[in-house]
Amino acid sequence: MTIATQNSAPRRRFGGGFKLKLFAYALVAPVVLLILGLVAYPFLFAIWVSFTDMVIGSTGNFIGFKNFEYLAGTATFWAAIRNTITIVLVSDVLKLLIGLGLALLVHQNLPGRGIFRSFLMLPWAMPAFVAFLTWRVLYQPIGGGINLILNQTGLYAGTVDWLGTRNTAMASVIIASVWRGFPFWFISILAALQSVPKELYEAAIVDGANTWQRFWNVTIPSILPVIIVTTLLSSIWTANGFEHVWLLTAGGPSDATMVFPVLAFFGMQTQRIGEAAAVSVYMLPVLAILVIFATSLMMRREE
Amino acid sequence: MASLAEIASAAPTNAGASARRRFLIARLLSYAALIVAVILVLFPVYWMLATSLKLPRDILRVPSLWPSRFSLANFEKLLADGQFLLSIRNSFIVASTVTVISVIISSFAAYSMVRFRYRFRGVIGRLILFAYLTPGSLLFIPLSIVMAQLKLGNSLQGLILVYLTFSLPLSTWLLQGYFRGVPRELEEQGMIDGLTRFGALLRITLPLSAPGLAAVAIFTFTGAWNELLFALVLTTSESVRTAPLALNYLITSDVLPWGPLMAGAAISSVPLMILYFVAQRFMVAGMTEGSVKG
Repeated sequence: MTIATQNSAPRRRFGGGFKLKLFAYALVAPVVLLILGLVAYPFLFAIWVSFTDMVIGSTGNFIGFKNFEYLAGTATFWAAIRNTITIVLVSDVLKLLIGLGLALLVHQNLPGRGIFRSFLMLPWAMPAFVAFLTWRVLYQPIGGGINLILNQTGLYAGTVDWLGTRNTAMASVIIASVWRGFPFWFISILAALQSVPKELYEAAIVDGANTWQRFWNVTIPSILPVIIVTTLLSSIWTANGFEHVWLLTAGGPSDATMVFPVLAFFGMQTQRIGEAAAVSVYMLPVLAILVIFATSLMMRREE
Repeated sequence: MASLAEIASAAPTNAGASARRRFLIARLLSYAALIVAVILVLFPVYWMLATSLKLPRDILRVPSLWPSRFSLANFEKLLADGQFLLSIRNSFIVASTVTVISVIISSFAAYSMVRFRYRFRGVIGRLILFAYLTPGSLLFIPLSIVMAQLKLGNSLQGLILVYLTFSLPLSTWLLQGYFRGVPRELEEQGMIDGLTRFGALLRITLPLSAPGLAAVAIFTFTGAWNELLFALVLTTSESVRTAPLALNYLITSDVLPWGPLMAGAAISSVPLMILYFVAQRFMVAGMTEGSVKG
């Protein structure tokens, strides 16, 4: 086991060898131990639990794939798969379009752009639980802000129960989570735009590229790595998000907005822990691919 | 740059007047789009504040954009039995304890990983990033069992421990970036002047990374302040409820007490939003550096 400071010359001055090694490990140890104990161990434990018939208060017996088979036979499970995919795909696309569009607007040399940037970031600064509770109130059929505006502007005269109707519940959940989630895309893309070298545009202009060609051939390729990382992170967070569905609809009406985390939570509430864990573990293969992909990209960017 | 304004400025200059007009139109359209976006962003925030200030009986009976009669009745009702204040206090205890613990030990870890080369360093780096991306929805079930075994279920201590699962990886990851920016020559100079290595970390690296530490502290505090799922699973008694949990239980009753709900939402978010406007410069920098969900 060798250890050295990154720059080997002053190494002797620091007391060198064993003591330094011990110091380095001692500093990193608390975080590593806590992560092993509070993330790695529970993670593996969850996988084990998903193969048992554990209920609250029992240790559970190994029952093979029974939990997974049982879940695959329920309509709620398939609703959760459909809904989770829908929410992730639709809200990613919307957040990308809105985030990119607003970033391009703010990136211009407009007077007052700083103020716009600050306000556009506001949903990110608002706690998620506050944001979704507020949207829940906005969506109320009577006294809610959305119906009020539709009625007063004359766009629509009726009364819609946005969260309580199968046709509108999913769209309502997606709109609220796009509202809360787009600032992350907006600011990431804006930062990427600001780091594109000006020379690239100048070269493109010399080559006679018009605005549209510059956008496709310079801007998009330059910010693509950021967009990919953002898409991966956002997909992981959206697929595993709990608050947006829980606080708006709790998965209803009749599973129209049921997603994996909420389903797992309900399993937990009915005390069938094995089944609840199996719900989470079902997500694992897709999640693992996204996480491994995202980690490699983030580590590379860090180098 | 591919922007609306550029479409105009790219126009041939000999057509001066028409280029000028197109430039103005592009500007106008840009502002119009941005103003619409800001209105859509602000409307829910406004609705929360307006609802909280309405007279409770007006909320349903006289739906209006602007409160027809201002009243603090919702706040009085929310705070009357002291339960919500207790939950705010609990949230404050949990969030600040997590912040202190997390900032201290993750700055040690980040420093170790940035300044030394040793075996497992790459593995540890990957472990931290994996831990950051491992979602709470996967961990809440096993953690609730583990906490029960440790006899830490239904306690603020248990919540504090559990919140380290998301705060430590994020803080360590972010601080590594900040520490890389501190020139090692400054530390070496300090050590020539008689500081120990640990002394150099405390007296030189940490003070120079103050903006980073502040950003990390804010992210940790808000992350813990906002957390709902773990709190929902781990705590049962009212005495250890955090603010998100207290509001969550308000909506599980049959009649939505909108006024008090929005009053509670305002109390638990306005301080954070003010903090954001004060500290946004380095919060936004930290967010884009380290990919922070918020």
